[in-house]
Amino acid sequence: MNATLPVLSVLVAVLATAAPWGLPAEATFILPLVVVMMVFCWRALPGTVFPAYLALLLGLLMDIVSGGPLGFWALMALIAASAGGRTPSLADSQDVNRLWLVWAGVAVLIAVISWLLGSLYFLRFIDLWPIALGAGASILLFPVVLRGVVWIKRGKLRPKLYRGWT
Amino acid sequence: MRGGHSPFKPRPRRSWRAPGELLNFTLYFLCAVLLVLSRIGHGAVTDARESFVDLTAPLLEAASTPVIMGRNAVSRAWSYSGLFGEIDRLKAENEQLKHWESRAKLAERNITHLRSLLNAVDEPALHFTTGSVIADARGPFLRSALVNLGRDQGVRIGYAVINGDGLVGRTVDAGASVTRVLLLNDLNSRIPVLVGHAGVRALASGDNGAELKLDFLPDGASVHPGNEVFTSGSDGVLPRGLRVGVVTGSPGAFRVRPHADLSALDVVSVLFFDAPALTRTDPPPIAVDRALSPSPDDTKVPAAVTSSVEPPPMDAEIKQAGASATTPVEGVAQAPQ
Repeated sequence: MNATLPVLSVLVAVLATAAPWGLPAEATFILPLVVVMMVFCWRALPGTVFPAYLALLLGLLMDIVSGGPLGFWALMALIAASAGGRTPSLADSQDVNRLWLVWAGVAVLIAVISWLLGSLYFLRFIDLWPIALGAGASILLFPVVLRGVVWIKRGKLRPKLYRGWT
Repeated sequence: MRGGHSPFKPRPRRSWRAPGELLNFTLYFLCAVLLVLSRIGHGAVTDARESFVDLTAPLLEAASTPVIMGRNAVSRAWSYSGLFGEIDRLKAENEQLKHWESRAKLAERNITHLRSLLNAVDEPALHFTTGSVIADARGPFLRSALVNLGRDQGVRIGYAVINGDGLVGRTVDAGASVTRVLLLNDLNSRIPVLVGHAGVRALASGDNGAELKLDFLPDGASVHPGNEVFTSGSDGVLPRGLRVGVVTGSPGAFRVRPHADLSALDVVSVLFFDAPALTRTDPPPIAVDRALSPSPDDTKVPAAVTSSVEPPPMDAEIKQAGASATTPVEGVAQAPQ
């Protein structure tokens, strides 16, 4: 399987995050983290190809669209890609909960790095609450997003590898 | 030096058994470089971003259209659910507005009479153009929105952006067909304002939250929750008298709740207010012949003559800012009093 399907799905998600959903100011961190989570999921799935440089490019696109500092979401996508690539895949462990736990750790790491980078960027402590809310929501949404990613890839996977997910 | 590495001997070369590691390191380094360039506001980064946003504008617009339609459908469904209560509320509000209308007409007559006695100069007209929000900014750093108006429509950096409720923000980037609007609640937003009937001067600062902080209030200033907040125009960028919001909070921690719902913007208007400060802050526009033009159609006006000091053309159509539209429209509005 080449990288077309994963990249296209993440690209659509990037464009969707830019749409004016009307979310409150405190919830603006959730949607970009969903995109980062998709990168993580695609990298963790067995038999998929999602090079790190493509994750960086999609992150850059998110930076450009959001108007934020160039390289910020690219860095977050890269962290997720690295973590996803090193995670024991579902094929090895057949355990979604373990992957969920890994994502929880990655989400916390991303939240901390975001806050530190943001504070460094503006030379003042930025509000932690929206970032923490986004990280928490992304952890809760992980099974949904993983299921979505598996659903996108369905047909090319052996169902027995995903107990209860396909 | 026995037993250890001699500084004069070449160290054993580390072999990159996994080229992916090297690539990963390069990518992380690239992110760091981009962040630094972005922080210092490198021109190449800014130009590349503007060009790319222009390129992706059709995609963003296509993505935002169904979202906006869905949002409107949901809000309509909510409003239907409380239709009877809403009718009662609107009836009561209509009664109040009728009362205010008579008072406003009386005040208008008095003002006209007093202005004629004083030979006062008429307030300048503000040209504006209206477009739709096609993208929201998401992240811990920025509160901004992309609007489908650009330099081709005469938009420049620093113009005030309003909707039907009040001030929304100001333009910070202007591409050929897309403009980025820095919202009032952004961390970098600072708006000089007048508070209440006394016109107390202060600074409304964004902190990425839903409300703005009210800074630099004079000691003992007469400010109370519920006071209206307007732009003062003292920054030389925004026109004076635009509605911003109302004061909330308590003394020592006053905040401003914007009238405009900044999290659910749909249609906004850009005011062509060419203050002298803009000529110093805005880089040369793409279309030189449109520089400082009061409206896209009026391109023959010299740069020194700004629209804000000219009366509106007699045949110009007067439109209400914030009117529903999906494509950019242009018009002229009387400057707020």
